Amino acid sequence: MPGVAIVDLSQHTAMLDLKRLHDAVVTGDANTSRTLTQEALTAGTDPLQLVNQCLVPAMDEVGRRFESNEYFVPELLISARAMKAALELIRPLLTARGDKPLGRVAIGTVRGDLHDIGKNLVASLLEGGGFEVIDLGVNVSPETFIATVKEKEATIIAMSALLTTTMPAMRTTIEALKQAGVRDKVKVLIGGAPITQKYAEEIGADGYSENAVGAVALAKKAATAAR
Amino acid sequence: MNSREIVLAHLEGRPIDRLPLMPITMMFACDHIQARYREYCTNYRVLAEGQIRTAETFGFDYVNTMSDPAREAADCGATVQYFDQQPAALVEDQALLVDKTKLVALKIPDPLGGGRMHNAIKAVALLKERVGKEKIVEGWVEGPIAEAADLRGINAVMTDFFDDPLFVRDLFAFVIEMELRFAREQVDAGADVIGVGDAAASLVGPRLYDEFVWPYEKKLVDGIQGLGAKVRLHICGNTRFSLRSMGKLGCEIVDLDSWAPIAEARQQMDANQVLLGNLNPVAVLRNGTPSTVTGSIAECHRQAGPRFIVGAGCEVPRDTPVDNLRALCAYAYSHRP
Repeated sequence: MPGVAIVDLSQHTAMLDLKRLHDAVVTGDANTSRTLTQEALTAGTDPLQLVNQCLVPAMDEVGRRFESNEYFVPELLISARAMKAALELIRPLLTARGDKPLGRVAIGTVRGDLHDIGKNLVASLLEGGGFEVIDLGVNVSPETFIATVKEKEATIIAMSALLTTTMPAMRTTIEALKQAGVRDKVKVLIGGAPITQKYAEEIGADGYSENAVGAVALAKKAATAAR
Repeated sequence: MNSREIVLAHLEGRPIDRLPLMPITMMFACDHIQARYREYCTNYRVLAEGQIRTAETFGFDYVNTMSDPAREAADCGATVQYFDQQPAALVEDQALLVDKTKLVALKIPDPLGGGRMHNAIKAVALLKERVGKEKIVEGWVEGPIAEAADLRGINAVMTDFFDDPLFVRDLFAFVIEMELRFAREQVDAGADVIGVGDAAASLVGPRLYDEFVWPYEKKLVDGIQGLGAKVRLHICGNTRFSLRSMGKLGCEIVDLDSWAPIAEARQQMDANQVLLGNLNPVAVLRNGTPSTVTGSIAECHRQAGPRFIVGAGCEVPRDTPVDNLRALCAYAYSHRP
């Protein structure tokens, strides 16, 4: 019919669902996120498309809101939870077909330090940014970081410390990586309240970020450099 | 005027001839007497000795009983990990209220029941006995969200705001009742000031702070003042977006972390509000020089104006060069408000 646009309704509906999934992650609605992801996968949507066109942009938006102080830690954590609800369904499909993440990050709070909220924020944003994240938790020994590099082929180590008393464990870990002969295999990123760029340089880390959003940019840069 | 009189006069708005000096020391004070930090946390005599000798060496106007955030939670039965040379800490994955339903049965521990709170109360009494006529004796309690995080786990409590707001309010109410009982015993033991540490409050942003945290902080502040003590509020982290509300709590001292711009605090709070702080404890006090410390605290003073007390943004780090700390102290002794 002249003058009438032909609209592919199925494509339009799919786009609407992607938008709803994006919004569910941004607003931290894990149940909706899980349901829409399952529906999209059942309908044949490419899982990588869901990640790249939906989850990554959604977490970018969450990061933007966090950086501009529209969101704070609680909002970021519920968005991360919604993203993880989707990723739990998507990741096995990507693994099965051999799709690679941007990089594999082993993240942990250093030995002697039990604080994890900052580390958790960074881990969530890295995951939302397309990285595979191996969360080693708190009080992580140098030996555990080394084993993760050797056995799980982590390409980035991200260390967090909240206390001036536990900061030295970052230096110890980097020295241990050298002694174990794996320092060249990984980029080492550090962060935490008492950490500074100067300290990162002093101990031979590859990068420092003062916030979680900056940590993702740093990891992307490190991943690119490692290729 | 002695130290105690200077602080009290300043808080009451009477003239004084130099700035009061009240930096937080914990690990620094422990190292100063070459004790193990584990002992500092668990033996009130060690804590008192560290506080008194540090205050006397550097000329602080007060002594304080803070050592770690785990006293109240430990007495509630939470799993606490002790370290030889750093503060005791809660083990989050074994938090007492991992299962929220346990709150209903949770009993408020007796502050005089021989636990860690009792140890702090004994510290207050000993400090009062030894230096209470000369210096301000400051006790310490955790604020509603800090203690809730200790009992429930900080990650869980952050999502509880959305998942179960009623539980959050019930938990905060429990905390306030416990902290007021703890504060009462500290005041009875001789505390002039009670510090309220509500570290996690800086993580939640202004909306959740105003809706959930502030009303319970207010109850705590009013309750402590009702006991006859003055209140020092300290929230670790960036409180920039909650400064106006913090100023409405009515605390005698708002002790700001270095992340919060002191100029904005002055602008948003009552002109008479006493502000304490807030140079960066690591980048300036620990890593700087006497000259940069002097410059930085002078700038804090300029922005805060006369209703000001000298201190760092948070705890003085343990390996702070002595000359840097002396520079901070010298500023107080050489400047009028």
